[in-house]
Amino acid sequence: MGCSSSLPDRSSGRLGGVNGSENNGVPDAKNLRVKLVLLGDSGVGKSCIVLRFVRGQFDPTSKVTIGASFLSQTIALQDSTTVKFEIWDTAGQERYAALAPLYYRGAAVAVIVYDITSPDSFNKAQYWVKELQKHGSPDIVMALVGNKADLHENREVSVQDGIDYAEKNGMFFIETSAKTADNINQLFEEIAKRLPRPSTTSAT
Amino acid sequence: MQEKSFNLLHIFEHRRDAYGFVLRPQHVQRYKEYSSIYKEEEEERSNKWEIFLEQQVHSDQSSSSEEEHREGLEAETSELSEETVTERAGKGDDSSEKSGPHDTSECHGNKEDQLLAESKEEQLSEESGKLVELPPESNKDQTFIEEPEKELHLSGDSKEDQYSEEPGKAAECPKEPAKEAQSSEEPGSEAQLSEEPEKEEQSSEEPGSKAQLSEEPQKEEQLSKEAKIAKIKSWSRIRPSLRKLENMMSSRVKKIHRMKDENAAVNHLSAVKETEVEGKSDSDIEEEVSVNKNSGNSVVASTEETLEANKASSPRSFFPWRELENLVQGGVPKDLRGEVWQAFAGVKARRVQNYYEALLAEEDDADESKDHDKSTVAARKWKRQIEKDIPRTFPGHPALDEHGRDSLRRLLLAYARHNTAVGYCQAMNFFAGLLLLLMPEENAFWTLVGIIDDYFNGYYTEEMIESQVDQLVFEELMRERFPKLVNHLDYLGVQVAWISGPWFLSIFVNMLPWESVLRVWDVILFEGNRVMLFRTALALMDLYGPALVTAKDAGDAITLLQSLTGSTFDSSQLVLTACMGFLSVTEDKLQELREKHRPAVLEIIEERSKKGRVWKDSKGLASKLYSFKHDRGSGGEQKKTCEESSNLDDLLTGPADPEANSLPDLQEQVVWMKVELCRLLEEKRSAILRAEELETALMEMVKEDNRRQLSAKVELLEREIAELQQVLADKKEQEGAMLQVLMRVEQEQRIAEDARLNAERDSAAQKRALTLLQEKYEKSMASIAQMEQRVVMAESMLEATIQYNSGQAKALSSPRSALNQNSTVETPRRRTGLFSLNWRDKNKVSFFLCPLESQLGKFYGAEAVPSGIRERENS
Repeated sequence: MGCSSSLPDRSSGRLGGVNGSENNGVPDAKNLRVKLVLLGDSGVGKSCIVLRFVRGQFDPTSKVTIGASFLSQTIALQDSTTVKFEIWDTAGQERYAALAPLYYRGAAVAVIVYDITSPDSFNKAQYWVKELQKHGSPDIVMALVGNKADLHENREVSVQDGIDYAEKNGMFFIETSAKTADNINQLFEEIAKRLPRPSTTSAT
Repeated sequence: MQEKSFNLLHIFEHRRDAYGFVLRPQHVQRYKEYSSIYKEEEEERSNKWEIFLEQQVHSDQSSSSEEEHREGLEAETSELSEETVTERAGKGDDSSEKSGPHDTSECHGNKEDQLLAESKEEQLSEESGKLVELPPESNKDQTFIEEPEKELHLSGDSKEDQYSEEPGKAAECPKEPAKEAQSSEEPGSEAQLSEEPEKEEQSSEEPGSKAQLSEEPQKEEQLSKEAKIAKIKSWSRIRPSLRKLENMMSSRVKKIHRMKDENAAVNHLSAVKETEVEGKSDSDIEEEVSVNKNSGNSVVASTEETLEANKASSPRSFFPWRELENLVQGGVPKDLRGEVWQAFAGVKARRVQNYYEALLAEEDDADESKDHDKSTVAARKWKRQIEKDIPRTFPGHPALDEHGRDSLRRLLLAYARHNTAVGYCQAMNFFAGLLLLLMPEENAFWTLVGIIDDYFNGYYTEEMIESQVDQLVFEELMRERFPKLVNHLDYLGVQVAWISGPWFLSIFVNMLPWESVLRVWDVILFEGNRVMLFRTALALMDLYGPALVTAKDAGDAITLLQSLTGSTFDSSQLVLTACMGFLSVTEDKLQELREKHRPAVLEIIEERSKKGRVWKDSKGLASKLYSFKHDRGSGGEQKKTCEESSNLDDLLTGPADPEANSLPDLQEQVVWMKVELCRLLEEKRSAILRAEELETALMEMVKEDNRRQLSAKVELLEREIAELQQVLADKKEQEGAMLQVLMRVEQEQRIAEDARLNAERDSAAQKRALTLLQEKYEKSMASIAQMEQRVVMAESMLEATIQYNSGQAKALSSPRSALNQNSTVETPRRRTGLFSLNWRDKNKVSFFLCPLESQLGKFYGAEAVPSGIRERENS
């Protein structure tokens, strides 16, 4: 409703939603637990990004995702913080959007993926951004990801378009390739850095 | 990278189960463990089914003459060959001579039923081998493998009209021989032609055992034919009973349709008959009615229903449903599965002649003519999605080569055209792929129609309403059945639907190991509703719930459940737990719960669509405004921006702007304002809704926060307890150590004491010995003294004697002096004797004394040690 773009407010200190690591048994700022949801058109490579990130594998003939699938992965940052990503990889087909709220509700991070060779998928990504701005957690961290960067000769969405759109909506932008593993780890590391830390209020 | 790709290749090549599906590397070992169990189960169940179906044949014998004459093998042979010969001859086919041997081989094949059932894996690889080996010129090959099977399914009457339609059809689509061949209505004449060369190729693959059975002169050909029919032939004997089963199930379908007709304003059946193509798709819209009405879906109820329907249609003997139910729960034998599923889905009753071909033809037409109306836009969308998904359906499965994919594509496109309310939904690609592995293309189509139109009606439509409803229903069942588990999941922040959603939507395909998927599907298709879906999901929760309770956080819980589910290799346990453990979950109950939860889902959807409409309305309004502005030719730009931002202030100043330039039509203004007011009200309403949403979200957050704080406290306390326990344990340990040390010291002391006692005892003994010795010494000394006394006495006596003697000699004078001299000589001799004795006595004494002294010396030396110990002890 006349939604101005909701910038993730980093100074807000602590995230509501799922970011809190209190459930984890070790309630400290050094071990974050983050619910992350991947959204985007069908076939843009959401599952491949997750698989690359979690298992370091790439399967060019991966299966269609039905409903959603779950994987988790923990990374360590330079400041010796660990971040455990609980990743929900959702189905891409339009009608499965009806089930998406189930998965993005309460998510601290949304990664919206499009395929740089498909303008349609870029439009779809914009749809998801709007959807999340309307219905997602207000302080959700959003990342816009142009995947299949290895297919640059077939590029149809320019890097600038991606950057512009991301900037306009206060998102983090990156182009990746699950196939060559380009920027995959960077993507998640960047996200981890942008997470609001529950510690900022309690530790200082 | 290279290594990895090699690994992948390795996995693709070798890690496949008996159905040709890829096994996850972590499951290979367990699959191996279970494959022998599967084999045993398979043998058992194929025996059971054989007996069951045979019984059906016997009980059926008298009921229909058509079936009767198929009883004897000989009869069947002649009958079949006759039939085919005449039919084919009638069609002017040149392959009629070949049909003779073909059918005979079928009968020979019969004898090997068992043998083949047992070596199913072989068959599968054989089959896939066939698919791969096929010569490129025959596009039909994939289907004609199963061609004879199709012929067998079809009961006599349908066969007849099918054949009568044949020539016409051939004329209809001469451009698509491939498609034609794949349709089950094809009598196989064409297919058989192309079959010939290929068969010869395959003869080399044949197991030698079969060679004995072929008595025909053309042995090679015969052999290969048997191989071909081997897979199919099992059914020629038990077919009559299967047909009975099929009829039973068909009547179930018919009944549904009948009810539909009664309820629907338009008679769809007639519509279907009139326009075979469009009618069907319409009828699906009415399905909800049928599902609601057909509530008696718990097996018993459906049994009665079907029986009723059967009695109405044809008088038949009682069909042992219970027995069949048990058999189905025990699993359908692999090589029966395709046909049994078709029978369960009521393919025969659903099938409309030419419908499938027409759908495919329509597809081609649409390709050529590029209309841009709505339906084709949607169709194109499905088509694109299908194209995307085909390579991602069971990637690498040997049967899904180029031809397999072609038929998958045709099947999905045909279905999308058939049921436009569903079109294409991801997940259907897997179902279609699975069905195509088990049956020919058109049969697969009708089975898919049965599943998606009936069993999962409303599941895969654009809004996916029923699947959302089912999730709510499932969650309620979970809360009812496993309150503790759900509480724990709540605590972890896991929603049941996150996990069960994908289960339900995929009907467990890719979620469970294949053997288990197929076993669950057996029951689902038999029961003709989604009860088994719920029961299986509950069974999984039952099996793995206890493990989930140990999970520490949401991620662990979900990962654990996913991996446990993925390795549910014990399919019998799963199916039996599902069927026996959750009998109270019936279709009636589910319907009740669905009715309860459906409004909530519909409300959300409506809200969403309303929002969409608001957005559209405002858009429409915007364009209206734009044109309104445009007429006046000024401030257009400003208007546009204000429309886009949909900001109230802008909108209010917007119309004021042109007002300054040119007087607007007041009436138009009023209309616009009214519309604007409506929009604002709408906006307000949605803003309120949003606020409410936020409020509830906040509440939830607060609750969660509290819960988290509490849990943190609990955690802290628990940790403290653990620490204290640790300390206690440490203390105990120390105590134990001390005790041990103490005990050791005591032991040492005891040893020392013992030593002391021993020493004392020794010393006492030695003392006694000493006193004894001293006594002896004293005695001997006394005796020495005595002896000395005696010596003294003797000496004095001697002296006295000498004196006496000398006195005598003086008195006696010299004569006697010689005598005296003698005697004096003698006396000193005696004296020396006495002295010598004395000396000897002394010697004797010293002999006694010496050892005594040495012994005394020893005693004192020994005495020194115990005294030393005593000294130490005293210190």
